[in-house]
Amino acid sequence: MTAATPTDSATEAQVAAAIARCAAGEKAALRVIYDIEAQRMVGVARRMLRRQDLAEEAVQDAFMRVWRSARTFDPQKGAARSWLYAILRNCALTILRDESRFSADEDAAEEAAPMSESALARLPETSALRRCLERLDAKRRSVVVLAYVHGLSHGELAGKLGVPLGTVKSWVRRSLISLQECMG
Amino acid sequence: MTAEQDNKALAGEYVLGLLEGEAKMTVERRIASDADFAREVEAWRSRLAAFDDTADPRAAGDTLWSRIEAGLSGSPARAPETQSLWSRFWDSLPALRVAALGSSVAVLLLAVGLSFAIRAANQQPVMVAVLVDGNRTGAVVHTFADGRVVLLPLAQIDVPPGRAIEVWTLPSRERGPVSVGLMSRAQTLQLSLKDLPAPKPDQLFELTLEPATGSPTGRPTGPILFKGNTALAL
Repeated sequence: MTAATPTDSATEAQVAAAIARCAAGEKAALRVIYDIEAQRMVGVARRMLRRQDLAEEAVQDAFMRVWRSARTFDPQKGAARSWLYAILRNCALTILRDESRFSADEDAAEEAAPMSESALARLPETSALRRCLERLDAKRRSVVVLAYVHGLSHGELAGKLGVPLGTVKSWVRRSLISLQECMG
Repeated sequence: MTAEQDNKALAGEYVLGLLEGEAKMTVERRIASDADFAREVEAWRSRLAAFDDTADPRAAGDTLWSRIEAGLSGSPARAPETQSLWSRFWDSLPALRVAALGSSVAVLLLAVGLSFAIRAANQQPVMVAVLVDGNRTGAVVHTFADGRVVLLPLAQIDVPPGRAIEVWTLPSRERGPVSVGLMSRAQTLQLSLKDLPAPKPDQLFELTLEPATGSPTGRPTGPILFKGNTALAL
């Protein structure tokens, strides 16, 4: 079973067109992106930040950046949604890595501690990412999922998996190479 | 590991969010200057994008949108709005000026009682929060039947230059603290709760010291001056 909504090319085209209109200074176009993507964006940020208020803050920062840098988006170089989510992830990571703020808030986490297998199980059966991750052994697979989906750092991965930092770094790199070779 | 594999892994680590500090900045400069490397980064984004679609959609309502929209116009968001609400309140209810100057609850209730004798039934707060710091009472927050929520200071608060007092409430644990007012000095203030559910019994209100334009993060960052929870008025 999967919670994923298939992203059709129509959504991608709508978002790309709206980014172009934002670049021309049209605020209504930013609202179009908000209406299409904001709920999913809050969901993505919340898996990393584990709190609704921080997730909303990341989404707010992301929309500011989308507005300010809409002109730098080049559809020749990549997909619109992937550009949008890269900005969101950067904003969420900035909040997450701000330790002075985050450690004090740890008690207030609303989400359960991250489980790498749950996001994996939600990938569609037909997804190349899922098929290729399943070829890795469980621990090597989990470093990729925990880092991308839940925003864990190298140090946090080492702590969670109970292995030295050097081991984690080498697992990450080898997992990435296997994944790249498998997915092309 | 070949140099090519090394490059691909580096691009992947960047997209996973694992690079920090100097390593991250170096990669970002490289994305800007090296088109082949930028393509590797983009390839990782599209390989991993399927994960983003596995997140459950979460509430993203009009309040979040209005915060975004306020940022776009370049206006300092909450401060002017609070000011104008306050001004309107001040104009329409001059007696509260007397109340604000009063230093005891007795004076305050007397003033409020006298000026609204005719509409007394409507003007009794339905809920009161007394905000304290240890044994010291700093302010009360009155919720009226018509939905107005008013903060009345009861103590002097020293506000250093460049700082302000921000008022917060916690409508729910899930939502987290929400800013409902900002003032440069302790004064009577009508709080801006129009986007929030009406206060419930045992809802937290607190005052924190923040930069003059309000907390930069949208959440309390400075020391808590006074806090307290609402209770139903008898």
